[in-house]
Amino acid sequence: MLNYLATLLQTGLGGLAAYLAAHVLLCLLPAFFIAGALSALIPKEAITRFLGRDAPKWVSYPAAALGGFVLAVCSCTIMPLFAGIHKKGGGLGPAVTFLFVGPAVNVLAISFTGVQIGMDIALARIALAIVFGIVIGLLMAWFFRREDEAHNNATNRSQAFAQEARVPVRTWVFFLLLLAVLIAGTLPVGLLTDSHLTFTLPGTWAGAVQSWLDTIVPPNAALGVEGVSVHGVLLIGLLILIVGSAYLGLNRVDEGFNTWTYLSLGLIALTLVVAAFRVVPVEDGLRVGITGRLVAEVLLIAAVWRMATRSFERYQVQEWLWETWRFARQIIPLLLVGVFLAAMARAIIPADWVRAVAGSNTLWANLIGVLFGVFMYFPTLVEVPVAQTFLSLGMHRGPLLAYLLADPELSLQSILITNSVIGRKRTALYVVLVTIFSTISGLVFGWFVR
Amino acid sequence: MEIKILGTGCTKCRRLERLAREVAGELGVEATLTKVKDMAEIMAYDIISTPGLVIDEEVRAAGRIPQREEVAAWIRQAVGL
Repeated sequence: MLNYLATLLQTGLGGLAAYLAAHVLLCLLPAFFIAGALSALIPKEAITRFLGRDAPKWVSYPAAALGGFVLAVCSCTIMPLFAGIHKKGGGLGPAVTFLFVGPAVNVLAISFTGVQIGMDIALARIALAIVFGIVIGLLMAWFFRREDEAHNNATNRSQAFAQEARVPVRTWVFFLLLLAVLIAGTLPVGLLTDSHLTFTLPGTWAGAVQSWLDTIVPPNAALGVEGVSVHGVLLIGLLILIVGSAYLGLNRVDEGFNTWTYLSLGLIALTLVVAAFRVVPVEDGLRVGITGRLVAEVLLIAAVWRMATRSFERYQVQEWLWETWRFARQIIPLLLVGVFLAAMARAIIPADWVRAVAGSNTLWANLIGVLFGVFMYFPTLVEVPVAQTFLSLGMHRGPLLAYLLADPELSLQSILITNSVIGRKRTALYVVLVTIFSTISGLVFGWFVR
Repeated sequence: MEIKILGTGCTKCRRLERLAREVAGELGVEATLTKVKDMAEIMAYDIISTPGLVIDEEVRAAGRIPQREEVAAWIRQAVGL
């Protein structure tokens, strides 16, 4: 019994440590900064002006899908915009497209899925969410076309959609730079992952520390649990320092910079750079490799820093950092708990069950994936470690995609909120359509990847 | 003077509320601050994204947190300073 509990804890800790040390850093840290920048630097009017009542369909539906990607990083922006587009703007169709695309295709969810589960699933998630978002929107608008017309005639024309705003070129360049930091840190190509220069830090301690780490958090290939490396411990230490300094430096960054702000930003940059080294413990020390990734990260972070200080107003930078911190504080604590529990679940759930229910790409398995997504409400991003757990237990990638599409779209909570905005009849049809299309998506994707 | 903060209660709305309260205090303007959290009531104003700032029933900002100086200018204008 005690042994069993120890194994559970070790699996959970192993999963958590591997997340923090191995993959997450170079992916999630930049992703949060991108999400913050989208929220702070893109005026909403740049997109909402395409979502008014007079916009033609071929403009408003794609704009609604794009709006889901750009504007919908958190639910407190989604619901007012959804209600606004429905009541005063383009109507039910574009509103539904916006509602569908937002949670599935934000930058955090996509980059995280890509790094943790695979680029195939991440790209399928983007493409299918956009296509089906538009199709579901069009179908909803068609089913309720009469009521929509009456509703249109009854409500006043809104000025809110007439406001225009442009996104300046420097903001686009800034986004490209941030995106490049994310891509350079995660893309698995030789140019980036190969070490171009290696040296060995002498000392026998490294091997001893590594074998000690292996006894505390033993790697378990059967359960997909990676161990923790010396490198990983260093990174986790840096992360803890970031949390402390960011709390003091970024929590009130909207009111001004202080020493802690610079310290935490410096630590974040340092952590990204340290994570890009390749570190392997050898018999007489640590072999350290300068990777292409390292060079790219150093150059890109320097460029981002320079641009943030030179090309933007101080209040814009403050706003950007504050939004980034807000997302991180809102999402990361729940994510860590989710990762720990999802890793522990690997040791509890028998792989036979998962394989029996969703091991192959059948209609039934895909539907189960969708229904599981509806009835389990996981906080933002936690669907990804959960999906990874199922993958390591033998779930087929088809049903996995079906689950990943449905989970953020259709939780009982979001169904209730949608119900309060568009009413029971429309919500029911929406839920049915999302269920059908998510199931079909998984099935079709499953055929392709086999 | 009446200041309303439109928003369902996210961090941004709380920040806007704090900002409005502070600016009104600095200017020495007597203001009642109301938080409007009901979605239907929010949508009754001509806005599509929150947080929204309404001063004496006029929408001044929506979907963003305005800068301190902007808020000060609106409040001054509303009381005729």
